[in-house]
Amino acid sequence: MSKTRSLRRQLLVMTFIVLLFISSLALWGAHIYANRTTKISYDRLLYGAALQMAENITLVNGKVIIDLPISAFETLSLSSSDRAFYSIMNTQYQVLTGYKDLPDIPFPQLIRESQQNQPIKPLYYESNYRGERVRFIILSKRLLEADKSKTVFVIVGQTMEARAKAAKEFNQIALQFVSVFFIITMLLLLFVIWQVLRPLQSIKQAITERSSLDLSALDIHVPSEIAPLVGSINYFMAQLDNTLQRLERFTAESAHQIRTPLAGLISQAQNALDEKDAALRKQQLENILESSQLLTQTVNQLLNRATLTHRFQSHPFSLLSLDELIKDTCRELVVWALEKHVEIAYVGDAKTNILGDEFALKQMLHNIIENAVKYSPEHGTVEVELMTQSTASNQALSNQATLQIRDQGVGVCDEDKLHIFEYFYRSADNVAAGSGIGLSIAKEVAEHHKAAFHLKDNQPTGLIVEIVFLCVEESKQ
Amino acid sequence: MKYYLAFLFCCFMASGADSHPSTPSPSNTTNTYSYPSLAKQTVLLTVHGALDHALIAPLFRAFITQHPHTQIQYTQLNTNALYQTFLDAPQERPDIMMSPAMDLQFKLVNDGFALRNDSPPPQSLPMDSQWRQELFGFTYEPIVMVINTDILTGSPLPTSREQLLTLIRDKDHLLDGKIGLFDIKKIGLGYLAWSYDSQQSRTYGRLLEAFGNHKAQLYTDTHTMLEALLKGDLFIAYNLVGSYAFQWSKKYPWIVTLMPTDYTSIIMRTAFINRQTTHPKTAKFFIDFLLSHQGQSLLEASGITPLDRHITGQNSRQALQKLPHGIFRPIPLGLELLIQTDSAKKQLIYDEWDEALGSSMSPSQ
Repeated sequence: MSKTRSLRRQLLVMTFIVLLFISSLALWGAHIYANRTTKISYDRLLYGAALQMAENITLVNGKVIIDLPISAFETLSLSSSDRAFYSIMNTQYQVLTGYKDLPDIPFPQLIRESQQNQPIKPLYYESNYRGERVRFIILSKRLLEADKSKTVFVIVGQTMEARAKAAKEFNQIALQFVSVFFIITMLLLLFVIWQVLRPLQSIKQAITERSSLDLSALDIHVPSEIAPLVGSINYFMAQLDNTLQRLERFTAESAHQIRTPLAGLISQAQNALDEKDAALRKQQLENILESSQLLTQTVNQLLNRATLTHRFQSHPFSLLSLDELIKDTCRELVVWALEKHVEIAYVGDAKTNILGDEFALKQMLHNIIENAVKYSPEHGTVEVELMTQSTASNQALSNQATLQIRDQGVGVCDEDKLHIFEYFYRSADNVAAGSGIGLSIAKEVAEHHKAAFHLKDNQPTGLIVEIVFLCVEESKQ
Repeated sequence: MKYYLAFLFCCFMASGADSHPSTPSPSNTTNTYSYPSLAKQTVLLTVHGALDHALIAPLFRAFITQHPHTQIQYTQLNTNALYQTFLDAPQERPDIMMSPAMDLQFKLVNDGFALRNDSPPPQSLPMDSQWRQELFGFTYEPIVMVINTDILTGSPLPTSREQLLTLIRDKDHLLDGKIGLFDIKKIGLGYLAWSYDSQQSRTYGRLLEAFGNHKAQLYTDTHTMLEALLKGDLFIAYNLVGSYAFQWSKKYPWIVTLMPTDYTSIIMRTAFINRQTTHPKTAKFFIDFLLSHQGQSLLEASGITPLDRHITGQNSRQALQKLPHGIFRPIPLGLELLIQTDSAKKQLIYDEWDEALGSSMSPSQ
């Protein structure tokens, strides 16, 4: 037996995975944002410091005077544990003040930009200096004095500890936020899943709580997605109820059908005991015998039906020759029919194979032919005819075989045709002895074989029972 | 060019013999002292500093007692020499570098010469007394002015820079050649205090003018200046380190040490571990000891105001608070110090200095 998979667990696992994915995405985004933000804000500090330095460089009598302001360094010291480096250079790349060995200054780029005669934007670059990664900014300033002008470069660099720390803090806050979000969302989803699955629980509850005899429809409010399920359950229960009712009726009817002849038998036997006249007694005893035979017939039919019901569930179909089967059955019955002065005629020479249960089909044919014989007038003929595609005009029926059993009896009026298949149904003006169960069984067998069962009127009088079988194709024979 | 006059100072803790040598002569600015280890010698810790060895000796001795396998060699130099030696003679770099010239120390650390000491600094020290766990402040010393009261003759004792200017104006020619200053070009600490003044107040310009007009004398160490005050060669000394001056005043009550009441600059002596030290563990122990309650107490006992505000005693910060003083303005231990090392800035200050004091000369020794 395969392991049952819990819907709740599947939902949980799926939501967990989805949440995990979303959270990772959020963290990743926050990480990128944090790095970008800290980079921008600390770059601004660097830029600010460089600007303040540039502000205090002046040209006096052709000499560059550098009076660096403390505020530039105070700006830098906002990143309290980062080392800082700076240098002021002239266009000959001579260091005017500050660090003399700053690495990787992007002079080519600066020269290119200055040649384009545009206002030079500050350039940022990173390099390793004195054992640490340092982010530098370089900007240029043109110093003007009357007719002279000189350009100086201001380079400021700072290590990146504070940036890393700020980004880390940001990431930690993001992590905390996402964790809380994750937990709260998970809890909410747990609640939602519980809430969503509750109707299923309530259906189970409703079914377990009711008595085993209660087959009325479930009356519970469920979401529209689950309503079809409840509908199916209710439909199934209605079917079951119907079946049970039929069974009950059948049982009662069967009992009644057996009890009535039994009562007759008892009273007839009683009369026979009391009868002094030998001729009358003999007549009575013959009546008893007849009644007993009828009763045996009924009981046999009931047993047959029970056997058939069992076979329907347990017996697989096998390939069999339909025409042979019909002929056999006719042969078996022909003597019995002749006793009743009725002839059975097998018409046609069609051959066809079908998949079916031989025992059940034989039972069906027996019942139909017996029935036909029973209602035939004396010296009448019961015609049994099997037609296959060769005889059928319609091409659509090419893989069908039609069996007709025709009698010349009184026929069945249209009203009775509706009820003739009900158990123990007997027409009010029916004079023949019978159990009223044979045709019902026949129809059940036909339906079990997916064959169509029709009742038609014979001309001038009589009944045609027509059964349309599905044949096995030639290639499969 | 440079030579060390080896001066061996042996101290035997076990015997408890406290055989202090006399204070080294002022001209002798380079001295090396050895503190042999108590156990079998294993580690030699070299320390360079500007602090009088006599004042720091108790600290060394206590450290050796705690770490018997350690031997200490202490070299005393003035602040500029400390810096230059460190840069010019890489093979002579000490394990521990101590100096009151915060700017020069900071520059060395900023340039990557220091080793990080990861042990957390004691809670009792202010957060901003260290930088990057590499540079550690360990004292808290006011920059003071010292006055020989003989000059007053009825004038009130000046307490602020403004009043000092008034006194100089009043006494006029009496003070010609009688004002003493650190030579800021030769003494790092002098430059630090002077340039910090230039950032702080407008009186700086008028002071410089007054000093120039009265042919201020330039000195290269505190002791000489204090002795000149005592002898009457000087009446006013400006921007001295409080620790020495207060002790002098205690000995000679007519020499008065004043913390200017407009503002009082505070310097911290700082120490860092040389990145290339061969004994990082011992060096870190030493820094931890210097900052510990015991180390700070020993400094206080030597007359140096320790950084730790919980230390009590007549040289403690608590005692300083009780004396008349201005707003304490500690020189921040941070990137602001880089401006003090900027050569262009230095040149500007030197130029002003030279312009004002061009005729001044160092006193003939």
